[in-house]
Order: sequence, then C-alpha cells, then structure tokens
Amino acid sequence: MLAFAARRLIVSVGLVWAVASLVFLVIHLIPGDPAELLLSQGGIAPDPAAVEELRDRLGLNLPLWTQYLDYMGGLLRGDFGLALQDEHPIVDEIALRLPRTLELVGAAGLIALVFGVPLGVAAALRAGGMLDRLLTAGAGLALSVPVFVLGTLTVLVLAQHLRLVPAGGYVPFARDPGRHILLLLMPAGTIAVGLGAVVFRVMRASVLEVLERDHVRAAQARGVSPAGIIRRHVLRNALTPVVTVVALHLGSLLGGTVLVEFVFNWPGLSGYLVRSVESRDYPEVMGIVLVISALFVLLNFLVDLLYAVIDPRVRHG
Amino acid sequence: MRRAAYRGLILPGVLAAIIVLLAIAAPIMPLIDPVRQDIAHRLTGPSAQHWLGQDEYGRDVLSRIIWGARVSLSVAFSAAAAAALIGTLLGILGGYFRGVVELLTVRAAEIVLCFPPLLLALLVVTLLGPGAGTLIFSLSILFAPGFARVAYAETLSTRALDYVTAQHALGARTRRILALTVLPNIATPLIVQFSLTVAAAMLLESGLSFLGLGVVPPAPSWGLMIRGARGAMEQAPLLLFWPCLALTGTVLVLNLLCDRLRDALDPRGRAMGRPGFLGRVFALPPVPSPPAPGLLSVQGLTLQVPGPNGPIEVVRGVSLSLAPGETLAIVGESGSGKTLTGLAVMGLLPAAVTPVAGSIMLTGQDGMPRDLLRLPEPELRALRGRDMAMIFQDPSSSLNPLLRIGTQVAESLRAHGTHDGVHDRVVALLRQVGLPDPERAAMAYPHELSGGQRQRVMIAAAIANHPRLLLADEPTTALDVTVQAQILALLQALKEAEGGMGMVFVTHNLAVVAEIADRVAVMYAGEVVEEGPADEVLAAPRHPYTAALIASTPEGEAERLSAIPGAVPQPWAMPPGCRFAPRCAMAQPACTVTAPALEEVAPRRAARCLRWRELA
Amino acid sequence: MTAPLVRGEGLTRAFHRRGGLFGRGVPMMALRGVDIELHRGEAVGVVGESGCGKSTLGRLLLRLMTPTSGRVMFEDRDLATISAAELRALRRRMQMVFQDPYGSLDPRRVIGAQIADGMVIHGLAQGTTVQDRVAALLRQVGLDPGHAQRLPHEFSGGQRQRIAVARALATQPDFIVADEPVSALDVSIQAQVVNLLADLRGELGLALVFISHDLHVVRHLCDRVVVMYLGLVMEEGPAAEIFRAPAHPYARALLAATPSLRHRGAAASPLAGEVPSIAKPPSGCVFRTRCPMAQPACAQSVPALRLLPGDATRRIACHRAEEIAA
Repeated sequence: MLAFAARRLIVSVGLVWAVASLVFLVIHLIPGDPAELLLSQGGIAPDPAAVEELRDRLGLNLPLWTQYLDYMGGLLRGDFGLALQDEHPIVDEIALRLPRTLELVGAAGLIALVFGVPLGVAAALRAGGMLDRLLTAGAGLALSVPVFVLGTLTVLVLAQHLRLVPAGGYVPFARDPGRHILLLLMPAGTIAVGLGAVVFRVMRASVLEVLERDHVRAAQARGVSPAGIIRRHVLRNALTPVVTVVALHLGSLLGGTVLVEFVFNWPGLSGYLVRSVESRDYPEVMGIVLVISALFVLLNFLVDLLYAVIDPRVRHG
Repeated sequence: MRRAAYRGLILPGVLAAIIVLLAIAAPIMPLIDPVRQDIAHRLTGPSAQHWLGQDEYGRDVLSRIIWGARVSLSVAFSAAAAAALIGTLLGILGGYFRGVVELLTVRAAEIVLCFPPLLLALLVVTLLGPGAGTLIFSLSILFAPGFARVAYAETLSTRALDYVTAQHALGARTRRILALTVLPNIATPLIVQFSLTVAAAMLLESGLSFLGLGVVPPAPSWGLMIRGARGAMEQAPLLLFWPCLALTGTVLVLNLLCDRLRDALDPRGRAMGRPGFLGRVFALPPVPSPPAPGLLSVQGLTLQVPGPNGPIEVVRGVSLSLAPGETLAIVGESGSGKTLTGLAVMGLLPAAVTPVAGSIMLTGQDGMPRDLLRLPEPELRALRGRDMAMIFQDPSSSLNPLLRIGTQVAESLRAHGTHDGVHDRVVALLRQVGLPDPERAAMAYPHELSGGQRQRVMIAAAIANHPRLLLADEPTTALDVTVQAQILALLQALKEAEGGMGMVFVTHNLAVVAEIADRVAVMYAGEVVEEGPADEVLAAPRHPYTAALIASTPEGEAERLSAIPGAVPQPWAMPPGCRFAPRCAMAQPACTVTAPALEEVAPRRAARCLRWRELA
Repeated sequence: MTAPLVRGEGLTRAFHRRGGLFGRGVPMMALRGVDIELHRGEAVGVVGESGCGKSTLGRLLLRLMTPTSGRVMFEDRDLATISAAELRALRRRMQMVFQDPYGSLDPRRVIGAQIADGMVIHGLAQGTTVQDRVAALLRQVGLDPGHAQRLPHEFSGGQRQRIAVARALATQPDFIVADEPVSALDVSIQAQVVNLLADLRGELGLALVFISHDLHVVRHLCDRVVVMYLGLVMEEGPAAEIFRAPAHPYARALLAATPSLRHRGAAASPLAGEVPSIAKPPSGCVFRTRCPMAQPACAQSVPALRLLPGDATRRIACHRAEEIAA
C-alpha cells in the first residue's frame, strides 16, 4: 500500500512539473511577443520603446533557460511573480480566492454524490420501472443543459421573478453564515445538477452490471438476504467505475466553476482567471492555470488512493 | 432487440438532421440579416416580421438563432473532426506498436488531460486572441486525447484478438492490418465518441462565447446571445429563453443520438431485467401433490424464454430423481439445458427464463418434502445454502474480489442463523476442504489464491451447513487436469463424510461421469434422452445420441473418431419429432414425425427413442 | 534422416510484469530453453497444463513472438535474421489455427474474403480464380461453397473452426500450428474437427504442431508427443509409447489424472498442490515440489533432457531416469 502510494505520488509530482514546464514553454515559444500583445490595445501598434522597456522589466530579454530556472525557482519558493497590470503578487490573490473555489467544488461534489449514488442504486434495482424511466430521462436532460444556461435561468426565475434568493455574490462565512450558505448553494447546486446526472448514470449502469456477476449469484446460492447481497456484494463493487468517472469529470467540474462563478459573481479563482485572460496578463494566467492543474493532479492522486482502499487487487498489484 | 435499437435512432437522427439542414441552409433562407441593427426597435417582442422579436440592438432573433446554429455547429463539427483524425491516428499507432511509440503518441497526448478543458481553452485564447479559428484549434487539441484514449484502448484489446494475429500470421503488412482489420473493428466506439465530442464541443464553444472569449461579436452565436440577453433579462426575459432553448435542445438531441447509437451498436448494454433475488414472480398452476421424493424429484420441468415469435422451450419435460447419498450426473453439450435445470432447482434462473410446468420436490433437513417451484422466495432463500447448496464453473468470478475469503465462507453460516464461533467454524471448514494454512487463507483475498484453491473455498462455503443436496455445475471445467482430479477426490470424500448428502453433478465430460456418478441423465436440446445407472448407460447405451457421444470421445484405440454430423439445433428452430433425428444415424421417416416419449427400457433405466430396442 | 522442416533451439521467452517502486519487476519465464524438431508431414503434440508454455512455444515457432533467446530455423533459414520482407514471404508456408473459433474470425468481413486474404497478400491468385479457390477450400473442409458471402456469426463454433482451417490452407502451407483448436468445442464437434485435421494432414502432407491440454485428442492425431511443465520439456517421444507407458513422473501423473470412460477411479492418485507460479519456479527440477519421486538432489540442479536409458526414441528430463528405466 505504501509503495503504491509512493509510486503514485512520484508520478503526480512529475506531472505537476511537466505541466508547469509546458505552460512556461507554450507561453514563451508561441510566436508573438507577450509585451507587444499586452501593450497593443485596439489594434494600434504600440510604441517600440515602450515594448522594449516592458520586455526588459519582465526579463524577456534574458536567455530562455535563465527565465525558466528563475520561474521554477520562484515556484519552489511559492512565488508566482507579479501581475503585469498593477504589480500585485499573484500568489496573494490566488491564496485569497482558491479556498472559495475549493468550497464551491467541494459543495457541488458532495451534493452530486448525495443525490446521484442513492438514486442510481434505486433506479438500477427497479430497472425498467416508472421511477427508473423518470430518473433516467431527467438525467439525460440534466446532462444537456449547459451550466451557464442553468445558472442564468436560475437567476432569472428564482432571483428576478420570484425574488426568493439574491441574484448572486459572496459574503464571508464569518460575517453571515446563513447568507454565505444560501449564496453558496445556488452555484454549487447548478454545478451539481450535471455532475449528479453523471454519477447517477454511472452508478445505475454499474449496479446493473454487478448484479449480473457470478459472485452475486453465488451469494444468493448461500442464502444471503437481498439486503446483505446489495450491501456486501453490489454496492462496493459498483463503486469503482463511479470513482473512475468522477475522476474523469473533475476536469469539467473545475472548468464549470469558471462559468458558474461568472454567472453568480462568486469571487473565486476562476473569475480571476477570466479577468486575466481578458487583459492578457500572462503571468497571472500561468499562475492560475498551474494552480488549478496541480489541484487536478492532486485530486487524481487521491482518486488513485481511493481505488486502493476499495479494491485489494490494486493494493497488492 | 437490435431492430428495436435501430428504431430508437430515428427520432434523434431526424431531429439532428433538421438542425444541421437549417444551419446549412441559412444563407439561402429568406432571413433578415442577422447583424443588421435597428436600435429604435430594441427589445421589441414578436411581430409578423420578427417572429421571435428583436434583441438589445434591434437585430432579428430568429435569424440570429439559425445563423448561430451555423456558427456553433461548424465550430463543433470541425473541431470534432480534426480531433477524431489526430486522436484516432495517435491512438491506433500507440495501441498497435506499444513501447516507445505509445509513449510518443498516447502518453504525450494525455498530458493535455492534466488541464481542465475550459482552462486549456482559455490559455489558448490568451495566446491567440478570441475568434472562431482559435476555438476550432483549441477544441481540437482538447478533444484529440479523448479519441486517442478510446482508439488506444480499443486497438489494444483488438490487437490481442486472434483474428488480428491471424492476419499477421498470413503475412499481411502492418498497413493492411491497421486499415483493413483494426480500424473497422474499432470504428463503433469512435463513432460514439464523435457524437459525444460534437455535443461537448458545442457546450465549450457556447461557454467561451458566453464569457466573451469565444466567437467575436457581432457574429451570431448562441453563447453570445445568452450573454447579451442576460443584461436585459429584467425587461425581456424571452430573449434569454430562445437561445437557451436552442442550445439545450441541440445538445439534448446530440446526446440522445449518442445514447441510441451506443445502444444500437453495442446491444449488450440494453440487456436488463429484474434482478432475480428481489423476488420471482411465477404463476404456476398447483399440482396434486406429487409423490414424496427420496431426496430430490424433478417432474416434467419445462422452462421458457421469450423469443421473437412466441416463447421458446429451452428445457422440456425434464424428470430426474435422486436418492440420499447418491450422485447424479447431468451430462450434455452446450445448449442441452443441463445448467438451466440445475439453476431451476436452486431457484436461481436468469430473469428471462420462466418455469411453466412441472414440479421440483426436495426433502429438506427437517424431512419435509417441498415443491421448490411453488415456494415463496423467502422460504426458498432459507433452504438455499442450508438444505441445498451449489458450486459453480468459474471459481474466480464466483468469489467477490473485494471481500476476504473468510467473510464469504462465513456468509453461509450467518445467513442461516449461526453467529457464535463463526471464525473457528470457517477455519475448520477451510481445513476440511484441504486448504493449506486455513487461518491465513481466511484472511486472504480471492486473488491471492490459485484456481483450485478458490474452488475449494466455494466448496467450503457450500457445505458449511451440511446440506442435503449439493449441486455442482461444471466445477472442474475451468481447472487443470491434475487439479480436477484433486477436486473430484475431495467431493467424493466430502460425500462420504457428510452421510446421506446427495450430489447433482452437471458436466459435459463423459469421462468425469464415469469417474464419479452413480446415475446419469443424458440431455440433448433441452430434453433428457437417456437416464439410468452410470456404469450401465456408459457400457450399453440405449439411445443413439449417448452411443454417438461415447464413440466420439477420443479415448478408444480406434484409428478414427466417429463424429456426430451437424450441430445442436438452435432452440428456436427445433426439428419436429425427435430432436436428435437430423443428426442420428438410425433415424427413420417416423422419427421426424413423432416426438418419442421417455420409455422405461430396463429396471431404473429410461430412453427417449423409437428404436431403442435395436440398440439393445 | 532428412533435415527437419522446423527446428527450435534453446527457445526462451520472458514476460515482464510491473512491480516494485519503479521498473519492470521480475521477469516471468514462460519458456526456459526448449528444443523441438519437426519433419515434413510429421504431427507433434504439445501437451501440458496451464502455464507450461505450450502456447508460447507455438507462437515462437511461427515467429508471431520473438524469443528472448534461442532461435527458430525454417529449413535452413534463421527466422530471426532474415529480412522482414523475406519473413512475410515465408509466412505463406506456415500457418496457424487458433483456439477460440469466435475470436479468430473478423466479425465484420465475410468469410470468403477472409479465406482469400492469404492468396491476395501473397499474390497467389487473381480475380475469379480466387473465388474458385475459396469455393474449393470450403468444400475441402466440408462446408457449402455457396456460403462464402456470409458473416462469421451465421456459423456455429464447429463450422467457424472449419473456416479457420480453410483460411490456413489457402496459402498451401507446409507447416501448421494448431493451438488448442478443439478445446472450445463440444465433444461431438471436436471429433469432426480432429478428423478433418487428420484427413488434411494425410492428403496434403502437412507438418503439424498440435497444442492441447487433452491427452486423448493428441493420441489420436500425433506421431510424437512433447510433455511440458512450467516452461520445460519433461518427456518427448513416440505418442504410442508415451501413452502406453509414460516414463517421467509428471507424464505419468498427467495421464493418471485424466478421467477415463473405461475404468472408474482412474483419477484416484492426484498430484498434490498446483502448478507453481512461473514468476517463482522451484530451484533445480521444476517439478520436484509435486513429484512423488523427489529427492533432496532434485533441488540442486536442473535435469537435462536426455535419452531414456534403454530406449533410443524417448527423452526425459529427470535425475532418476535410470531408476525409471530399470
């Protein structure tokens, strides 16, 4: 188990390093000068002297590998550099906003699992029945509604028309816990609809598949009760594919936050990213993409460990 | 089944075709210019000229929706096509050549998967600036690894198949193998992946446009329209509604198409039925109580499965009997119904199979005979694992890989009310079936044991409650010969130790029958064709099928094996008259007309043949 | 005696399983030095339990797999050193029939096209002659020539195996490896395919390597038998001799464990234990852990395959060959 975890950890660290290098290289090797891009507003060619001054300031005139080592060294010290626009330390802004995005992702994941898993099991056990058909159709619809459409319509109906909830925003938990949770629930719920539909579908398919397996029949032959069969022989075995699929969807989950934070004015990391993309502040974009990717890699590492917890064959393999 | 799956394609297929046609036909339709502004009439509702009203710049909404479809679909299709081309190529090469090639293709492509997709698109937009070209470029990069993964996995499993090796053995060049053999056989999941990708690309495109980072205004795009309408949603909520409907509807149609495509191309996913253990619903007419059995007595058992032209009888009129302490072998080829007969006794028939006639009487541990076919599920469950137990063909899949051996053996005990000293009893059982170091084996997981040891575990779980009847369904078929001999010896020893336990042994191997059975029932095409004491039946068969089966067993000194011509008839195309007649060397015209009954041919022996006397 | 058609010398094959913190882990030796010879028109049976390396051996002989060490000679050519083009051309003369009749035919192509593949690849026939040859081959294996345009799923398991045989025959090979060709078939169908192979061997003078776990089938078809255990040959000799009186303790046990129609209780003296994992084979003689005749000396060195004393036709790999012969 320890060797397994260590192996996965080494791979994960390597991946983060590869991602960081890739982001760095892509930004620096793609044709086009970041300084020029930044200064050219509205298609007017910038003053060459200003561009040169900016290049100097950003260290873009140094050899590429010096820049690379500087950047990597900075990362190791937890320094992501300064933003181009107002020269604030990028790491501070990330540290402020990252927890909010994590909170959103965590809440969405939790809601999706809390609804998706039990409903998936229920639908599978009554496959072909009324409940199953209803839930399956609902999941199909939920998967087809883009998050920003759902979010926008939620704001339109719940906030604008019915005036049940505020249209969005953010209040720190310490200041007003109730309002904080209310404001969290809308974006989290919006993300959870799609994710929950995915979890539901996989859980349902997985349970149906496990029910057909020989060891379920063997347990029946021993006289084990239906409840015992479902608990010991179906649920845990059916969970592995769910973990896989949730892991595969972590990416779109993290991506989904970009849109949802925008719709609900949730001041998370993604809003920060959109702003930096709009202003072409490439050190900011690099920093944020890196952090989110590292987060993604970390989550995948945790998923691998989870596999090992569920399945002894992975542990021993 | 398959035809129904293809029918399911019609609705989403037609809808998708309409959407695509509308998008293609946009330039030749009498639409108002989608970018012409009319500020004076901004946010006006529907009118004769503007069916869906005008937006925040007074542009025609209907026209923008249709032109928007053109933009969204062309971006999504181009990106998906490019991704499919690149990804499939990488995946096939990586999967076929493995090694370094795999590293350079598939693994390299998978680095992209380390980025959440929307983020990667944003990164590209930062570098290249927004626009349709950027969108297509970034979306193809995003989705190519998905194709590479699918193509890689499919190629990997396809290349291991014998028909690919056969091509190699024939001397075909790699190019020919990849194009003619591998590609057509992995096309199915790639087509599904393609329709999935088009839907995902539309979602991403509209999302980016919604953020103002995708399609550049004033070009019409659904994402942009939603972005624009959002600003005016208090005054004109309908404006928000139309693009949302168009976008969601299109993605829904594409997803539906994808699901139906998957069903049509891969019918496995649709097979579904009520899980058996949640309660069987059989409506069998009561029978006048049949004679009390020795141990087990099956009378006239008939099993049906639904077929396209009415129900098919897969087991017809099977009668068997077993005395305490006796071993009955049911022998037959695939499709003979021998396994279904065994499962019917246990009440573990697959959902599609229904008993329609007959009775199965079992004398339980309490000495009471019961008709298992008419017993409610909870009462039957109480008998399973206690009065009767079963072991299966494949010991690897019959054990839950996630549970310890001891836990699974203990289940038998706990399910029937033993809660004290379970662990000691489990260890004793494992010792009894000959597992070395039973204490440790109880703590092991199934994958830590060998095939023969796993079958021993299954036997330990089966005999835990001293059953009266042990059903063994091909328990040695998956094992090596030397291990088979061990398991057969173990079963014999257990039968002697558990005085009075009867055994039903289902097998296709006549030599195994000779080895262990007291009595034998030979089954063919769902019927018992001969029944009697094993040594007598094997020495002097009274049915041509039994005789032919013995003759075709490669054991005698004969230079040439005598084969049975033809093949077992399919259950939906049973010959009239005797079911063996088309393959029988002794068949006469009468045999193809009358279905012979099972006749007593000697004391305690029966055969289902019109001409059995000529065999005597 | 004439030169053999196919000769394998010291064939070894290792597989790697992932393991440990890094790297490839321990190599698993599927085959650990096997010599085999096959003459024109001869049928050799290769028998053994799972993990004995019999399928690996078959694939190495056809060079569908490369040996880790050792070499395969086809006539006077070393299959490892000839060019890829030469090897492809040589493939016309050596063919394979597989175990699983469902996996060995491409489900998406009509069987006529699959039978014709070899002729097309090697340019043996063109146009209508291909059709005629396909029809003739189908007739030869006992199928209706009119069925050439059907897909594999329209045939039963036994018929598919006949199609696979027709495909192998299409290039008029000299040498066929049949890897468990009847074990997936019902008994009554097995006999059909065994008879077909026996007939074709006689008619066409094919050299045949017949891989099987079923001793009885091998006896019917083969002149010589090779008994394998854990990647090594235990005994080799004329089929009739080995079946009459197997010499090696493993060959004896294998024959004894096989149930028989004739006499009940034949399988009464089973070997203890199961085949050890090929990742951790026993030291010395690989069979010693289950051998009723094992002595401490058996753990010291690997016994060489040598002539059975007093019998010029049989070879066994046993330290106690002298006692066995006596």
